[in-house]
Amino acid sequence: MKGSCSALSELLEKYFDQEVTDEERSLVDTHLVDCHACRDLLKSMEKMRDLVKAPVEEAVGEENFQWVWQKIERGIREEERPAFWETLQRWLQIPPLSKRRVWIPAAAMVMILFITLPLFFKKNPSYQSASVVEYVESATNNVMVYESENSKVTVIWLFEEPEMETPSS
Amino acid sequence: MRKILLPFLLFILCFVWTSTAFAEVQVRLRVIGASNDKKEIDPSLKDIYKEMGSLFNFTSYRLYRDENLTLSPNQPVSISTRKRLIEVTLIGLRKDIAELKIRVVREEKEILNTQVRLSPGKTVLIGGGPRQREGIIIYALYARF
Repeated sequence: MKGSCSALSELLEKYFDQEVTDEERSLVDTHLVDCHACRDLLKSMEKMRDLVKAPVEEAVGEENFQWVWQKIERGIREEERPAFWETLQRWLQIPPLSKRRVWIPAAAMVMILFITLPLFFKKNPSYQSASVVEYVESATNNVMVYESENSKVTVIWLFEEPEMETPSS
Repeated sequence: MRKILLPFLLFILCFVWTSTAFAEVQVRLRVIGASNDKKEIDPSLKDIYKEMGSLFNFTSYRLYRDENLTLSPNQPVSISTRKRLIEVTLIGLRKDIAELKIRVVREEKEILNTQVRLSPGKTVLIGGGPRQREGIIIYALYARF
């Protein structure tokens, strides 16, 4: 390599990577016409690139990057999503009629809670203290109901007429 | 809108399912024969014998039937023993109180129609009848929550 070649080696790499300006490209092109060593160096760089490129492209072709793209797109969408305060401010700015997307489910939810919560927390003091027997009736017999406050047992007693013994034949 | 509606509908479905799934109650119905012909207490009646012994003056208590009835609202369940039929219907279930309608039928004739509220630990005894050699029948009802 000549003295000018060592000065040009950095530029040659940029030339190979197509990162040179038009001015630099013409300088390298002029140099390559006269310099056999630099031409060889460029050719070996090209060979090296081809050697690496082929298996990499083959491997990339076999890979499925669909999910990577999906992840990237999701990430972009999330980045685009406005902050909570921005959303709130925007929502406060929209006219009241347009807010029904939120109001209707919210109102329905409140109504359901309003109806269901008393069922869960309803106390039945009247039932607890009330009589176990709500009503008792018998068209044919007298009935007695015995209930004691302390007793766990309530008795409903039916006074029936004695059954006639069927004579055995 | 779909994102809001779907969980909302699921919530309603879950609520409806749970409220219907738990709308049944287990009732233990024991049919007891009480008499004075012997002096023996069925071992399986020891839990209520103390109460029965303080209320009645029978010397013998025998267990004829011991049934666990699963009652669904307005679905009558009936058990027949010794010329009688007892029909139990769940007509209401509030927290831990089961409202039961009970009918006793003898020879296709309704002799008793009553409505009781059973709460945990409470037993309702329905008894009576003509005293005969084999004694009388007592129905003991106890709700399990």
